[in-house]
Amino acid sequence: MTFIPGLGIAKGMALTLRRFFAPKATIQYPEVRPDMAVRFRGRLQLLYDEFGTLKCETCFQCAQACPVECIDMGGHDTKNRFYTHWGPAETYGERREESALRRSGRPVPDQAYVHFQPIDLVAVEEILEARDYDPGKMLPILEEVQAAYGYLPIAAIKHISHVTGAPYALVYGTATYYSHLSFERRARTVAVCRCTSCLLAGSGRIANAIGEGLWTKLAREPVGGVALEQLAAHIPGAASPLVTLDGKPQRDVTETSAAAWSRALAKKTVA
Amino acid sequence: MRALPATFREQARAVRAYAVESRAFALESWAGASPIDRLALVLVPLALFLFVGAVVSAVVMLGPTLDFLGANQPLVRFVVVVLGILLLTVPTAFLLIYMELKVIARMNLRVGPNRVGPWGAAMSVVHGLKVLAKEDFAPTGVDVPVFTLAPVVTFLASVMTLLVIPFAPGIFGQDFNIGLLFFFAMGGLSVLGLLMGGWASFNKYSLLGGLRSAAQIVSYEIPLTISVVGVILLAGTMSLNHIAQAQSGSALDWFVFKQPLAVLIFFIAATAEANRTPFDLTEADSEIVAGFSTEYSGMRFGFFYFAEYVNVFIISALITTLFFGGWTAPFNWPWPYNLNWLDASGIGAAWIVIVGFALLVAADVLGLAIWLFRGRQWSAPSAFGLGFVIAGAGVTILIILACIIALDWVQGIFWFMVKTYIFVFVFVWMRGTLPRVRVDQLMGFAWKWLLPASLLNLFVTAAAVIILNLPSAR
Repeated sequence: MTFIPGLGIAKGMALTLRRFFAPKATIQYPEVRPDMAVRFRGRLQLLYDEFGTLKCETCFQCAQACPVECIDMGGHDTKNRFYTHWGPAETYGERREESALRRSGRPVPDQAYVHFQPIDLVAVEEILEARDYDPGKMLPILEEVQAAYGYLPIAAIKHISHVTGAPYALVYGTATYYSHLSFERRARTVAVCRCTSCLLAGSGRIANAIGEGLWTKLAREPVGGVALEQLAAHIPGAASPLVTLDGKPQRDVTETSAAAWSRALAKKTVA
Repeated sequence: MRALPATFREQARAVRAYAVESRAFALESWAGASPIDRLALVLVPLALFLFVGAVVSAVVMLGPTLDFLGANQPLVRFVVVVLGILLLTVPTAFLLIYMELKVIARMNLRVGPNRVGPWGAAMSVVHGLKVLAKEDFAPTGVDVPVFTLAPVVTFLASVMTLLVIPFAPGIFGQDFNIGLLFFFAMGGLSVLGLLMGGWASFNKYSLLGGLRSAAQIVSYEIPLTISVVGVILLAGTMSLNHIAQAQSGSALDWFVFKQPLAVLIFFIAATAEANRTPFDLTEADSEIVAGFSTEYSGMRFGFFYFAEYVNVFIISALITTLFFGGWTAPFNWPWPYNLNWLDASGIGAAWIVIVGFALLVAADVLGLAIWLFRGRQWSAPSAFGLGFVIAGAGVTILIILACIIALDWVQGIFWFMVKTYIFVFVFVWMRGTLPRVRVDQLMGFAWKWLLPASLLNLFVTAAAVIILNLPSAR
């Protein structure tokens, strides 16, 4: 082996010069998007909340959605027995409620747990009969069940899954995906008009304030029986910004009072 | 940019029209005017008044002023040279900082700054503004006058060396017959700035950093200076102008081929002198506290930083001047083509050809093109008329450009800058490649290798000058 002084330096300099002309690794992010699969979600991992509780509620929606079936769930139950493939989240209602309470820092009535109570399944059976027990007609079945009961009882969903053969996670996922399907009885409906004149008068901010007061957002699943919706059309003659409660215009709801008003409404309805 | 649908444009136009309209209403009264309107109402008449006053006084004072300037030419030259050199450092440093960011980024397979200005070119300007906007902070116990003067001394030491560097024939600050000596004398002053900064900072780390950088720079100054003596022997002069002229001809006349060892020594020592990687122990930014500049912030630190980059340029310029022919062309200019027939001073046949013949041809071709591709919107006379106007303007600009290029000093600056920036690139390239040396390696290398090598080079050169009886020995 021969030692030539400066050879290492020359090699290094040559390397950096080649790198100088090599194609660059940078992706100009906002202008150029990396070419990735549509459903790419990055590396899979389970997240913990700030109290150290696993955020996963074993709802199995991810396992259901995974195209290559690489996701499965397992763990120790309260008696320290290991299971793979835990049951649906609703069978662990207590645990889930506790977790939700901790994470939100506010009292959350776990409606899914409440409505897990057994119900009279005659109406569900009639609807399923009419729909031929076809899991492909899941959405109409769920809509009709909601029409019959006023909400989607969890027991009904379990029954539908059991009878049609559709996995529970699929039915549950369908029910949670559509905002017009709800797990709880809708007691009252607050609607905010979002026509141009109302928006200019501040109805967007009012909608946000009401959403905060009701622990929800516009057109999301209602919490505590009060739904927040967008008014289909401005009521002729009503002043802007227009907020209605069960279809009746509320004149005293302004930008400043919206938050307090909605909080009072939520408290009244839950009680 | 994606073209907006017509309706969007119309909406935007309507909004703009509305804005203009409402503005017109607002300007009808002082009370209704916006702050900007009020400012404009005051400032515009004032500016007009000042402009008219300046023009009038310039016309009145032009004669006496010219007389005064003519009578005090050395003074005028001094002011112009100092201003020019001080102003030159700003774009130079900005360009070098931008180059460093961009080149090292490319070597790291990154893109580098590309958001501020075209290709990120305004990045270093923004850096400069940031440094300017920072608090001018002096820690407790600092010797404030010395602390403030230190960066000034360092910066001025760099700038003063620019005085003797010949950029082109006739473009230099001052042609000393001791030019090279002046260069090293002034360059050596920067150590004083570093020591002042380290001592005045009231911080033992700063003091140690200052002493260490002084030790480094003083050690490397010796081989640096001795390696240059060979060139002085060959050229027979210390004037940088004459050294550059002594290398005129082709690239084979450059001193790099007569003094290869000296170039190597000079380059290494200059790298240490300019505190560049792999000898940037003065402020080894990734390893220790920032050496002598630990306590510095804001523009005081900015001047150290500034001086460092100006130093890189100056060292590159000096290598170019001493060993690579300075402003002379690398091949026997005006080869490959002769531009003398374009000389602005003599109107020769070339001019008649260009103005008379080429202009007509260009006008006809352009007119034909316009007529053909513009369809019936253009009648033949107007198409050819437009072609004539465009061709005339183009030929005029070309002639002016050719005359400018034919000037001696334009060519000189071109070659000088090309060579200098090649060396600047090499310095940046080295920073992107080489790791830092240890401090004992640094000192050992200077004293055990560079100094004997430079002495050997000096001895061999002197012997050759005498044995071969070169012109400078006579």
